[in-house]
Amino acid sequence: MKLVTRLRRSVRIARTGSWLWCLYKVPAFFRRLTGRPEADLAPTHARAARSILACALDLRGVVIKTCQAIATRADVFPPEYVDTLKQCHDAVPPQPFDVIRGAVESELGKPLDAVFAEFDREPIAAASLAQVHRARLNDGREVAVKVQYPDIESIVRTDLANMRRACAVYEYFDPQPIELLPLLAELTAHLEMELDFRREADCADRVREIFAEHGGVVVPEIHREWSTRRVLTMERVGGIKITEVEALRAAGLDPAEIVQDLMQIFVRMILAAGFFQADPHPGNLFVERDGRIVLLDYGLSKELPEGFGMGLFELMFSMMTLNEAAMIRAFQELGFETKTGEPETFVLLARRMMRRSDTGRFEGEFTEEMTGELFDAIRENPVVSVPSDFVLVGRAFSLLSGIAHTLGHRANVLEAMGASTG
Amino acid sequence: MSLDSSFDPRTSASPEPAADDRLAFSPEELLSDPVVEEPLIANGVRCHGGFDSDGRYRSPRTLHRTPAIRAWQARLRSAGHELLHVDPALIPPQSPNAEQAVLLAREGVRDPIVRALTIISIVEGFGAIIRDVRVPDLGQCIVEPVEGTALAHLSGGLFEAHARDEAGHRDQGGHKQMWEAARDLAFENPRIPPDVLMRMMGRRPGRRGGERRFPEIDEDLERMLAIMAQVLVVEIFAESTFEWGKSVLSDPRVSAEPEAAGRMVSHIQSDERPHVEYLRTALSEVRARTLRRVDGGSMDGREVVDGLLHRILLQLTRQRVEEQRKEMRADLAEAVKRAGCGPSLMEEFDALDQPWAPPASTGFEAAADSAREPAEAS
Repeated sequence: MKLVTRLRRSVRIARTGSWLWCLYKVPAFFRRLTGRPEADLAPTHARAARSILACALDLRGVVIKTCQAIATRADVFPPEYVDTLKQCHDAVPPQPFDVIRGAVESELGKPLDAVFAEFDREPIAAASLAQVHRARLNDGREVAVKVQYPDIESIVRTDLANMRRACAVYEYFDPQPIELLPLLAELTAHLEMELDFRREADCADRVREIFAEHGGVVVPEIHREWSTRRVLTMERVGGIKITEVEALRAAGLDPAEIVQDLMQIFVRMILAAGFFQADPHPGNLFVERDGRIVLLDYGLSKELPEGFGMGLFELMFSMMTLNEAAMIRAFQELGFETKTGEPETFVLLARRMMRRSDTGRFEGEFTEEMTGELFDAIRENPVVSVPSDFVLVGRAFSLLSGIAHTLGHRANVLEAMGASTG
Repeated sequence: MSLDSSFDPRTSASPEPAADDRLAFSPEELLSDPVVEEPLIANGVRCHGGFDSDGRYRSPRTLHRTPAIRAWQARLRSAGHELLHVDPALIPPQSPNAEQAVLLAREGVRDPIVRALTIISIVEGFGAIIRDVRVPDLGQCIVEPVEGTALAHLSGGLFEAHARDEAGHRDQGGHKQMWEAARDLAFENPRIPPDVLMRMMGRRPGRRGGERRFPEIDEDLERMLAIMAQVLVVEIFAESTFEWGKSVLSDPRVSAEPEAAGRMVSHIQSDERPHVEYLRTALSEVRARTLRRVDGGSMDGREVVDGLLHRILLQLTRQRVEEQRKEMRADLAEAVKRAGCGPSLMEEFDALDQPWAPPASTGFEAAADSAREPAEAS
């Protein structure tokens, strides 16, 4: 990356950081000076989030990725941030075709037409690190080609270093900072994995292996000979988008069965296999005409620690049966901590979550409202720290709950387990 | 309210109350505990039930539940109807059997036993979903009155008591936690094999709801009866699990706490008896009655209950037993290899095998014949 670009990015991030600092600290300083009471911070949060969004759309790359990560951490950031930065999921303009062509040719070491008989100029999807094009191999096989933006690794490194500096300054000066550096470390680790498409290919293979004897899941085959660290060539699979209820019905598919299958698939990955595709948003899920569920995008796949599935099962089970002693044990097994060592906090968390369910009881479904309430409780009560795996799993289950509700059903985790064991 | 114990549901429309035989109970009564002097604490976990002043174990929620079930059964018998009976010969043996399990544990191959005990505890816990079974308006689905029966109390305390017994409630553990305690006492808090949930879920996709067997009756009624029949059979078959558990966990050659662990399984076993009894009473009450068809006609309750039981018994004594044996053999070969044991262990293991074949009859064929399953019955 050119020095001038690097400088521009550093200045842009520093400028946004300074603006945020002023946004919060100047009014606070004057309030203290004049003795005025604490103000409602919601409008300030909204302004700050908008500034960050503008910076992300300007710089793209890792800044967009960071915003996406913030939007998933309702346990740490105020709702104004989460709501505003959610827009980053859809706000990524694609790179011109010539840039993409250059990237593919450089990675594969061949001209585009030496590998592909056809390669669409317009991408079918564009994200913060890469975009996907429809293509056909010279042997006739239909494929989707995911191409990493040139120079993105270097941009990521620069931006992460800038953000690390900004966070360190913030944590140094703020007496009660949100602990951003651990979040940034986590993001750095995720980005390193996401930037290596060979790892994504391995993840797809691993999920395929989990369902080897299952038959109800389609994981696109990876064409390893045309894949590298920065280009991923995979089987093109189709199907009906999972939230298109009418199209599903028209194809003779029963939405109730689709929800049941979808839940069993994720329950199997999360609770039983300890490895899962952690981004089950509707754009990554399709249904084939024979009812099999197509699972796309393994960039954000996660290995869960040993015992996590059992711990999560125990937590859900204890919440379902209102067994408070077991709830506390399960929270602790999952890695939740209270700074005071007071276990009652866990029971309060669970109670708040259950109050947000439709029935006032936990019946096996993590709705968006329930996980939102949990994260609100955690954010409001700083004595609890939450393991990041739990956040990722909670987010996945609430995405699945959203899909299930769109299809007119419930995403009941325990029922999916029971159905499998029955 | 109490009812005359000689009341026959098929011939009498308005039962007369009798003063000495209570047949109606509130949910609170069916959920109330007997007095205990000392609570049951298992491996540091407070569980349900406890010990009376004589040191005898008292099961939870049995203060009124046990006499209530007895009264409903007496009433049924006195009306000339028998309680349904599942032939104990139909109960498949545990696999591996107790001797085989002890052999494995002695040789250090503990994972299959720990896994099996963990799965038992989880399956027990799942018993709690019985509280979510929808009970239809039985007055609409059944021709004869149901007042003063177990049937009338299913949603009025019986299902809830069953659920709490299995999964625990509030600060008290249930059978799930008791099985875990027995396992942890015997094997000194063993490492739980990480593949427990995967094994439990099986390798194939779960079965779908399936076709209705009796579309001519109310759908909720059919679903409720099917679940009750399934749970009843599982509970009856659990007898062999209890005997197996007691035998293995109380064997001092493999158990660190043979007395405490074995006793824990005995407590679970005694807690389960009311489940078998209320389920077979309620299903027998349905057998003794006439069901309303959705087309306005009627059909014999026996035909439905026996049809369901026959099908479940066939499935659990034929296909499932064989499937489980095959899965167990595959698991075992792997575990033995991992533990570094030689082929002689497998030979010794096989020598302890006791072949089992299910009886030719489930005992429910007669009514099931008309329940459209002649092919399966053969």
